[in-house]
Amino acid sequence: MSGKKEKQMLEIKGLHASVEGTEILKGLDLEVGKGEVHAIMGPNGSGKSTLANVLAGREEYQVDSGTVKYNGLDLLELAADERACEGIFMAFQYPVSIPGISNAYFLRSALNALRRYRDESEIDAVDFLDLVRSKMELVGMDQKLLQRAVNDGFSGGEKKRNEILQMAVLEPKLAILDETDSGLDIDALRVVAEGVNVLRREDRTFIIVTHYQRLLDYIVPDRVHVLSGGRIVRSGDKDLALELEKEGYSWLEADDAKAGSGA
Amino acid sequence: MATNAIDTWTDSVSTSSQSYEDSVLGLKQRRADALDKFAQVGFPGRKHEEWRYTPLTSIASGPCSALLERSGSLLDRKLLPVDSNGVARIVIDNGEFRDDLSDLSAVGDHVQVQSLASMRREHPEQLSELLARSFPADDHPFHCLSDALLDDGVFIDVAPMSDVDGEVASIHIIHYLDGSRGPGSVHTTGLLRISKGARIRLIEEIHCQGEVLGNIRWGVDLAEGSDVHRIRAFRSGCASIFHGSRVVQQQDSRFEDVFTCAGADLVRNEIHILHEGSGCHAELLGAYVASGTEHIDNHTTIDHKVEDCTSREIYRGVLSGKSRGVFTGMIHVHEGAQRTDAVQSNDTILLSGAAEADSRPRLEIYADDVKCTHGATVGELDEDAIFYLRSRGISFEQARRMLVRAFTSEILIAAGSQVVSDFIVEELQQAIDVAEVASS
Repeated sequence: MSGKKEKQMLEIKGLHASVEGTEILKGLDLEVGKGEVHAIMGPNGSGKSTLANVLAGREEYQVDSGTVKYNGLDLLELAADERACEGIFMAFQYPVSIPGISNAYFLRSALNALRRYRDESEIDAVDFLDLVRSKMELVGMDQKLLQRAVNDGFSGGEKKRNEILQMAVLEPKLAILDETDSGLDIDALRVVAEGVNVLRREDRTFIIVTHYQRLLDYIVPDRVHVLSGGRIVRSGDKDLALELEKEGYSWLEADDAKAGSGA
Repeated sequence: MATNAIDTWTDSVSTSSQSYEDSVLGLKQRRADALDKFAQVGFPGRKHEEWRYTPLTSIASGPCSALLERSGSLLDRKLLPVDSNGVARIVIDNGEFRDDLSDLSAVGDHVQVQSLASMRREHPEQLSELLARSFPADDHPFHCLSDALLDDGVFIDVAPMSDVDGEVASIHIIHYLDGSRGPGSVHTTGLLRISKGARIRLIEEIHCQGEVLGNIRWGVDLAEGSDVHRIRAFRSGCASIFHGSRVVQQQDSRFEDVFTCAGADLVRNEIHILHEGSGCHAELLGAYVASGTEHIDNHTTIDHKVEDCTSREIYRGVLSGKSRGVFTGMIHVHEGAQRTDAVQSNDTILLSGAAEADSRPRLEIYADDVKCTHGATVGELDEDAIFYLRSRGISFEQARRMLVRAFTSEILIAAGSQVVSDFIVEELQQAIDVAEVASS
């Protein structure tokens, strides 16, 4: 009961994935340990968003080959909802608004789905309200948003905070944050970062997918990986992010060109 | 064959019609004219533009030409959870206004309710005038039947509240159409007159048993500054129902209607709004589900005749099996009706490939300073929303149910009562679940 296997949370080997017939991930390898925070960076179009969506189980993303082991499970065999029940959570880049379903009803349905999966009894309305109120306080969210329809008419920051609230209530083992868009405003990023820091725990793993280093001004990652051309091309500690901030991604294109001509 | 069928109807309607005795010429004439007209037009088929998607051939050849027998004992049905405190009740059983089962003690003296049967006996002149005012003669088959077979119904006359009357008066109207002793039809006329500044809430529900044709029409007359809020629930298991309302609004009046249907063999839901005075608002909302071979046709016309009036119309349907949903929404902005603001949308979710939705928004605009928008969507559930829910652990099936529920429940927010709204949303949802299980 010791050693590498026990500590390993996620193990991706030779992952090839495509969207609408175009191959995006081209043999991606990645290992993430329990309780670690990993940042995945890279230029636009490198496959960051695809990786996040493949891990969350979005069906439009076709896995062509490779394996993904999560807590000893074959992740690719699980449907999106089963993955969530097994403790995977993806914070969406652009959370979907769902008119007609209140945030409270949505969150309680989700929490109860997880509890049923674990053979636990469903939480009643009163206990749920107590729980969700304390979590709202924890993530600094306005209580009024609980009775509003899911993300409907929410500001960018409120949507992000709502994702963090869901994370706080559902208590995932592995949280994947999709922050690939370079256009996100700084306040929204700060909300995400604060949320991660508040929810960071020894037994909770984070994968933060981001284009810019600035998110990492607020979150100190254990490992930083550079994704390019559908593969991890460089890995390092937090200093790699700083290096990328200075140098940009242009060096990758030179490497790619070399690799291309060599093949 | 078709000719024979309509002859059966004409003979039957003629016999029934001639059995009524009218004490005043106005009523007599109205009945005779309508009978003649019906004999000419019969039930229109596909070639008639107004009935293109809902031909009445099945009604014509159906077994409902005779009048339903008066039933005596009521169908045992669970009613909408309307708070009986402070809400009056009107029971109309196979077309008969049931004095013995109605309870009007909850409404104040400012609301007068009379059955049309008693008006025919006691105030025929007044009835004749009210009918002439509310229902101008036309060649609409169901209007003709209503006039030719005018028997019973209700007249609700609302004066403004005095200070002692308290809450806005609410009336719960329950129609039972019981064909368990043989098929037949029922023709019910409702007249609603709201005086200047008066208000009323109506909750109307319809229950059917067996093979019946319900023909219900309302003439609604809103005086200046008055306000009508109406919910209509076609409860699950309805047979063939025509429900038509002609609503005339004077200055600054407000009419709000929430139509719901939890499945019916054939429904034609018609509303005609006429804005006669400026500053009026009409709100027409609808949520309906259909399965199997059910057919729901919503047919609305809004005549913006004068300036500064607004209307908002949202109809939403969920169709499964081989069912069909039809929506025709005419917005007519007359010359001079400047600053009209009209919004219309019709959205349909298809849960099966064999279901069909036909949506026809129609705008006729003869004024230049107006805002009119209309839109129609037909499709499946939003994939992104389904994935969002699933990514939080909610199963595919539950995600679908939640989204369908959300789609209809948004309409019911306007029902004004959380308990009634929840009840109807649940009934709509159950109708969908049953249909889904049946088709899988």
